[in-house]
Amino acid sequence: MLDTFTELEAQTEATLGIIKTMKDEVSHLTEENNVLRMENQHLRDRLAEIIKQQSIEKQMTDSGLTKSRLNLEKIYEDGFHVCNLFYGSRRDGDEPCAFCLEVIYGERK
Amino acid sequence: MKFTVNRAIFLKKLKDVQLAVSSRATIPILTGIKLIADSEGIKMTGSNSDISIETILTVSNEAAELTIDAPGEVVLQPARFFSDIVNKLPDETFTVEVKNGVQTSITSASSAFVINGLDAVNYPRLPEIDTKDAFTLPVNLLKKIIKQTVIAVSTHESRPILTGIHFIIKDGKLKAVATDSHRLSQRVIPIEGTENLSYDLVIPGKSLQELTRLLDDSLDEIEVSVAENQILFKTEDTYFYSRLLEGNYPDTNRLIPESSSTQLTLEASTLLGAVERASLLSHEGKNNVVKLTVKDNSVEITGNSPEVGRVNEQVTFNDLKGEDMEISFNPDYLKAALTTFGSIEVTLKLISTLRPFVLVPSENNDEFIQLITPIRTSS
Ligand SMILES: [Zn+2]
Repeated sequence: MLDTFTELEAQTEATLGIIKTMKDEVSHLTEENNVLRMENQHLRDRLAEIIKQQSIEKQMTDSGLTKSRLNLEKIYEDGFHVCNLFYGSRRDGDEPCAFCLEVIYGERK
Repeated sequence: MKFTVNRAIFLKKLKDVQLAVSSRATIPILTGIKLIADSEGIKMTGSNSDISIETILTVSNEAAELTIDAPGEVVLQPARFFSDIVNKLPDETFTVEVKNGVQTSITSASSAFVINGLDAVNYPRLPEIDTKDAFTLPVNLLKKIIKQTVIAVSTHESRPILTGIHFIIKDGKLKAVATDSHRLSQRVIPIEGTENLSYDLVIPGKSLQELTRLLDDSLDEIEVSVAENQILFKTEDTYFYSRLLEGNYPDTNRLIPESSSTQLTLEASTLLGAVERASLLSHEGKNNVVKLTVKDNSVEITGNSPEVGRVNEQVTFNDLKGEDMEISFNPDYLKAALTTFGSIEVTLKLISTLRPFVLVPSENNDEFIQLITPIRTSS
C-alpha cells in the first residue's frame, strides 16, 4: 500500500514538472507572439509609407517620366550631363550622351 | 658593331619598328631606333610612351643576306632620318658599322654616310612580360574586331578610359566594346582555348590602330600575354607592347536596349548611300543633323539646314515592323557604323525619338552591335 503511494507521488511530481515546463513554454510563446505582432504592424506601416512615397514619385507626367527623371531631363536639355561618368559637366557642342539617356529613360529593374 | 644586309628587307623591318617612334618623344633617345647585332641577327626596337615594337631579322633568313661581322649596339636618331638614308642608298645591300663609340658609318656601293649615334645603354628597357599564360588569336579576326570597334573610341582626353577599347575575356568568349558616349560599338566572338581565362582590360585605341598597321594579312595567329599594366602581342619575329589604361571602364551593358518598337531591315550599303548624300547638305549647315522618318510603310532620310537648303530621299528597305518613328542624329556616326558592316543586310532597332537606336547584322545579331545616340531637335 505504502509502495503504491510512493509510486503515485513520484508520478504526480513528474506530471507537475511537465505542466510547469509547458506553462513556461506557453508564456514564452505568447510573449514572442506579441513581439512579432508588434514588429509585423511596424513593418506594415513602413511598407505603406514606402508605397505611398513611391506612388507620389511615380506620379506619371505627360511624358511618362517620374518627377525626378523629368528634372534630370531638363538639366540634360539645358546642356549638362546627368550621368555618373560626366556628372555636372557641360555637354560639348550639345553632343548627345548615351549614359545620360540611360539615366533619364532607361528601364530600372 | 658591324653588319651587312639586304636593303629592301631591312627597310621593311625598320618601317615596322618606326610605327612606335614619335618625333615628339619626351625622352630624346626615343626619337631613335635601337639596333642590336649578335650572332642570331639584328634586333630593332622603337618605343614611345604608349607602345614599343621590337623585331628580329635573323641570319637564317636567306633573303635578308645578313652577315654579322661584329656584335654590338647603337641608337640611331632620328628614326626617320635613318630610314630615309637606307631608303635612298644606291646598292641592293648596305653595311652599318659603329666606330669610335657611337659614330656610325652607313655604306652602300660608293656612297658613305657617317652619322652620330647614341649609346644604347641609355635606351629604356622594355617591360618584361611573363608569356606563361599566353593565348592565341587569329590575326584576321583581331584586326577586324579592332577596326569595327575603334571607330567609337573617344578622342577626348577628358575621360582617358574612354580612349581605349574594353576587352573582356570570359567563358571562352572575347567581348570588345568602345564608346565615346555619343555612340558605341561592341563585338563578341568565341575564342578557342580561352575557356579557363578571365581578363578585363582597357587597351588604348591608338595602340590597337598601330597594331593593325603592323600586322600583315599573311599572318595566321598572334600570341597575347597580359601583365599588370602592359599587354604583349607576339608574332614569330615581332613583339608589340602596349600600356593598358588604368581605371574601371563604365558599365556599357545597360546602354544597350533589350527591346525596340520599330525594326527596319535593309542593305547597309543602301542606307549608307542615302546618309552620305544627306550629309553633303548637313555638313554645310550649322547643325550636322539628318532625320530618319518611318511612316506609312515608307522610309525617308531628310536633311534641312535653313541657311543652305533641303534634301530628302526615299530609302529602299527589305522589311519593316512596328510603329512609325522619327529620329534625328549625326550622320557621320551612322556612316562610320554602317561602313564597319560592309555589304550585308542590317536591322535598325528603334525605341523612341529620344532613345539611342542600334544597328545589328540581320543575321547573327548578338555578335556585333552599333549604338547611336539621337540628337534632340526643337521641332
Ligand atoms: Zn552624360
